[in-house]
Amino acid sequence: MNKYFREITVASALGLLLLSLAICAPHFFQFQPFTSRLTSQMPVLVAAIGIALVIMSRQIDISIGSQFSMCAIIAGVMAASGLPLGVSIVAAIGAGAMMGALNGVLVAYLGLPSIVVTLATMVTWQEALRLWQQGRLLNLPDGVQWFGLSQPAGQTVVISLSFVLLIGAALAMKHLSAGRFIYAIGTDAEAARLAGIDPKRTTFGVFVLMGALAGLAAVLNLVQSPQVQPNCGDGLELKTIAAAVVGGVAISGGRGTLWGVLLGILLLANVNPALTHFHQPPYWEKAIQGLVILLAVLADGLRSRKNQI
Amino acid sequence: MSHPRSLSFKSLLARHEAVLVFVIFFEIVLFQVLGRNFLTERNFSNVFRHSVEIGLLAVAITPVILTGGIDLSVGSMMGLCAVLFGMMVNGLGMDPWLAGSAAVACGALGGGLNAALITRLNLPPLIVTLGTFSLFRGLAEALTKGAESYSGFPDSFLALGNSNFAGLPTQIWVFFAVAAGIWFLVHRTTFGRSFRAIGYSPEGARYAGIPVARNTGLAYVIAGAVAGLAAVILVARLGEARANAGIGYELLAITAVVLGGVSIFGGSGTVFGTFLGWIALAILNNGLTRISDFKIMDQTVASVARELSGLLTGLLLLTALAIGASIKTLAVRRARNQPVPTSKPEPATQ
Repeated sequence: MNKYFREITVASALGLLLLSLAICAPHFFQFQPFTSRLTSQMPVLVAAIGIALVIMSRQIDISIGSQFSMCAIIAGVMAASGLPLGVSIVAAIGAGAMMGALNGVLVAYLGLPSIVVTLATMVTWQEALRLWQQGRLLNLPDGVQWFGLSQPAGQTVVISLSFVLLIGAALAMKHLSAGRFIYAIGTDAEAARLAGIDPKRTTFGVFVLMGALAGLAAVLNLVQSPQVQPNCGDGLELKTIAAAVVGGVAISGGRGTLWGVLLGILLLANVNPALTHFHQPPYWEKAIQGLVILLAVLADGLRSRKNQI
Repeated sequence: MSHPRSLSFKSLLARHEAVLVFVIFFEIVLFQVLGRNFLTERNFSNVFRHSVEIGLLAVAITPVILTGGIDLSVGSMMGLCAVLFGMMVNGLGMDPWLAGSAAVACGALGGGLNAALITRLNLPPLIVTLGTFSLFRGLAEALTKGAESYSGFPDSFLALGNSNFAGLPTQIWVFFAVAAGIWFLVHRTTFGRSFRAIGYSPEGARYAGIPVARNTGLAYVIAGAVAGLAAVILVARLGEARANAGIGYELLAITAVVLGGVSIFGGSGTVFGTFLGWIALAILNNGLTRISDFKIMDQTVASVARELSGLLTGLLLLTALAIGASIKTLAVRRARNQPVPTSKPEPATQ
């Protein structure tokens, strides 16, 4: 079977969905709303790159939604207090990396299961944020939206930055030793250790990178509106994990590509607009997302079963 | 994953429960001193009335965690079962007790979906229950179109959530029955003992002739059924069935289980430990709300205490995990090289 079977399947599903939209609802493709929709998915893409690396190293991080909210609020508060935007951006990414480092220490060096660790940090950051902001909407100063540029220019910056990051990360996963290390520890941590790779350090690094990417994603989200909500990252973990799993990243680690993740995001992101354009109620979005995750793991399970026999 | 085989680890486990009893006692004294109206009969029944659902989920996912699995979908299952229950009573005019049994059956069915995917197709429990976590909640939201709720249940049914029986809240008796049942199952039957055997070593359990897939699957079915029961009790207490019933409860239940000394890697732990973990958690959350009435501190500081409970729950889970992991590392080291170096076993304080 073709190595890129999953990517091709998801790409055809996406193509089919877009084609039927083109026939039934051509106004879906009007330039401005289409660009806006694409821009709004870019933070998800950046966060999903991180989660894909985490899953490839056979871990999971469900605290990214809380990390994302926390970083967004940190950047927002700093920008609102008059600090230059650049400083706030660096602070958000740094805060994300630190939160990732906490997960990394607990998972890599204490050997705790990542699901429970990140469940605990998820609720800890969420509650700390609630205590700090009391759910208030934070108004941002003028220079923040679209980095102080015009809207089309800002959208171009956000989209190109995300795609440069995606291409860079995809190439790094294929050609840099750090990328190969991630696949190696995800496939078999013990074998990787015997081959001279330090699985603990690699796992730790992946979690730090995940946190930093969550911070960057929060910044890319922040610049898209004049306000920021303390719950802006809610549900991000499900969206990104679903995108990664649908895009062919094996939940058992060691397999998958970032191109598949991009396709997964585009497919899932079009579920809701498609529901509206086909005049269906939008309440089904979450159920459909859950179903898509289950179908994707089901396909994985059936494939590995077939390979065993 | 290597498991410790030393007696000292067992005695540490026994001590874990003793430590929990001490923690609970400490909490009671602390909140009695700091808070107002803490040790009253009224507050005592409140503590348990408001946390029975979490207690039910906690004892129900204990077998799942003992097998080395996890079930993240129980909170969402409560939402789905609550909505289905509301529809059956309000929409179809069913008798609430019959509808309640049907809700429990629906829960078991949902647990069966988890079980089938996990045991028949060998899929990781984490991602399967993450998928059903989204699916069940999504179905509940879709069925209620995001906003509808059901109320107007007969008084005889609401009594389940709001009245007392033999001096205690009625639903606490349901909890006791379920907890005793699961305790008996896990600790007094061959079938239930297999949960720990599977969590300790699935391969070993298979060689010992245990039907691993069937027994693991049943743990998920039980968890689903009890989640359905918890949904019915929640509806009886609130008098309203909504799609958001039980949001975040899976986390609280897992916290109670981990606090209770059940290993998150599977293979060791007791139902009684979970029970104590749940009580410690319930008292903490209730006690913090009592401190808000504290008079000596100024008002702003005092009102923070009430909102600390979520944050503390998260921190508590992290601390309990870290301590559990250190104890395990220590026990493994002790088992590996007897005579032990002078380092004393860490006291498992919370």
